[in-house]
Amino acid sequence: MISQSIAITKPAGGYIKPVRRVLSPDDLNKWIGSLSYTQVVDFVEQLSLAVKGKENDAPCNVSESVNQILHILDKVGDIIELHPVIQDKETSRFGKIEFRDFYDEITLKSNDLLLGISDLGPLIDSTQDPRIELCVYFNESWGNRTRIDYGSGHELNFICFLLCLKNLNILNLDWDATAIVLKIFIKYLSVMRILQKKYWLEPAGSHGVWGLDDYHFLPFLFGASQLSLHKHLKPKSIHDKDYIEMFENKYMYFHCIAFINDVKTASLRWHSPMLDDISGVKTWKKVAEGMVKMYKGEVLNRLPIIQHFFFGNIIKAPEGVSKNRVTKYDYESDHKNRLPGGHIHTWGDCCGIKIPSAIAASEMLKKKEGHRIPFD
Amino acid sequence: MLDLDICIELLKECKCIPEADVQEICFKAQELLMEEGNVQLVDTPVVICGDIHGQLHDLLTLFRAGGDCPDSKYLFLGDFVDRGFYSLESFLLLLCYKVRYPDRIALVRGNHESRQITQVYGFYDECLRKYGSANVWRYCCEVFDYLSLGALVGNSSGGVFCVHGGLSPDIESIKQIKLIDRKKEVPHEGAMCDLLWSDPDDVPGWAISPRGAGFLFGKMEVDKFLHENNISLIARAHQLVMEGYKEWFDGGLVTVWSAPNYCYRCGNVAAVLKIDDNLNREYKIFEATIQDANAIPSKKPVTDYFL
Repeated sequence: MISQSIAITKPAGGYIKPVRRVLSPDDLNKWIGSLSYTQVVDFVEQLSLAVKGKENDAPCNVSESVNQILHILDKVGDIIELHPVIQDKETSRFGKIEFRDFYDEITLKSNDLLLGISDLGPLIDSTQDPRIELCVYFNESWGNRTRIDYGSGHELNFICFLLCLKNLNILNLDWDATAIVLKIFIKYLSVMRILQKKYWLEPAGSHGVWGLDDYHFLPFLFGASQLSLHKHLKPKSIHDKDYIEMFENKYMYFHCIAFINDVKTASLRWHSPMLDDISGVKTWKKVAEGMVKMYKGEVLNRLPIIQHFFFGNIIKAPEGVSKNRVTKYDYESDHKNRLPGGHIHTWGDCCGIKIPSAIAASEMLKKKEGHRIPFD
Repeated sequence: MLDLDICIELLKECKCIPEADVQEICFKAQELLMEEGNVQLVDTPVVICGDIHGQLHDLLTLFRAGGDCPDSKYLFLGDFVDRGFYSLESFLLLLCYKVRYPDRIALVRGNHESRQITQVYGFYDECLRKYGSANVWRYCCEVFDYLSLGALVGNSSGGVFCVHGGLSPDIESIKQIKLIDRKKEVPHEGAMCDLLWSDPDDVPGWAISPRGAGFLFGKMEVDKFLHENNISLIARAHQLVMEGYKEWFDGGLVTVWSAPNYCYRCGNVAAVLKIDDNLNREYKIFEATIQDANAIPSKKPVTDYFL
């Protein structure tokens, strides 16, 4: 095997704290035409290709870095264990507030957790530390602390975390691609399932019955690729209970169908008309191709999602997009992130700064406001 | 010639109605809504309802729980569309009732009755899937712009102020709401936006909303608003409550949620609030309809991605 100790050219300008940069339809167009966009799409497509025809437990090369990342995901699982849901405390709300304690602990510990990746060590010195970029994507991968929700945008952050590791030559698609999906992504998915079920995460930006899924996109994309060489299973097989039971642990697509059937009432045709429509496609190959197009159309090309995408020096902002503008939403979440345990800021008193009135405060913020599309 | 009673019956059976009829219903509703104030005055007794989100079967259950329209009078607090399977049919059914029995039903705008939000959260996709074009979505959006922003139940002192989201730091009295030019897409900020987006919370005064629009407001602001406007209650919707309704701040505010088992998964019950002539509150709880497996909706060709 080729040695992975490749000298890394540190990015010009060093590593920087990633910020949101796509704020307008004009920015979105620049993003879609950008090198970073192409990088994300290529990464997802190569990962998809790497699991074509492979079951979840198909043999694959597992490098040291992959193992170390899996170990970090185990530790995330351990942190979940530390924050049980205290029943009857807040039954009116769907999302469980203990998720915030889990999230705060992740935020607090991620910088140290990432040291578990041994190839990262040589990249860190007193002036340069890529973790300032990696941690943002890693922390965002688990959902939103304040809203207690999760969606395909958070899933995208996990992919960006992996893409950063690839760009830093810590992961290499030539020999890690299959394991990135079958080991790392599947483990991430299993951690997310625990979080979703335990803390009743609300679906972020859910289209309800009109979306592909409440939480995820990529297990469908990778999952269809896994099935694309299968001789007997057809897209319509998702309606067959026996097939679901038989294959939910072998193929991500079937796992997703089993999960949906488990959490939702009534039949798939009612609660998931999109999946029902897709089950009418003749071959998994067609589904797999369509999933890539749909991922672009419904995730990567969508302002409500990409307005929250972070750009640093590993994944660079497209040229000519808006400068980062602080919105009242960012202001709130950034302040919260700095204060584990969290407190609610009011306009009367925020971090000790007295603000005379709500009107004055809203006037102040109007000047900075980037008009992001709100969360319903 | 448009026959509203036939339309109502078709919609109750979850059937699509012809595009030309949708256009006519929307146009007639618009003419009526245009004449209404930003804050409608609604007499008691009335049944106040929260979010529906296209759950037509559950909307029909709601009418059984609260009494048929026009026998009972209704006030809906918005969020008729998005997420559910039958947003279009649910909204059109309410519009048909409005046109057929204008004094027996009042409709207030929710944050989802907006072009931008419906393009994100499903209603646009639903119209496109059902009609092959966005025309019916456009007709509906025209109606959204004319929906009122709030309602006042009971003329005498101690009435109930009804709104989709909540209060705004720009609004101290109900009179100020009457001055807003509402006939437009919901703006990103300001009083009109806040009324549709804000939430109550345990905060002193005002706080930033994690939604990115509207504000969080606390007991102090609610007490002030109740006193200033000589009312006894703020009734609002906008947030899923597992128990169907939740009173806040010593009963000064209530959240009413009318979409049971929201999105086929939340396991919540739903509620409507009946206000009688003495302004007494009575909550009616109802559960999700078990859907008839035989009445499964028709399959549609797949979206372009998979062709």
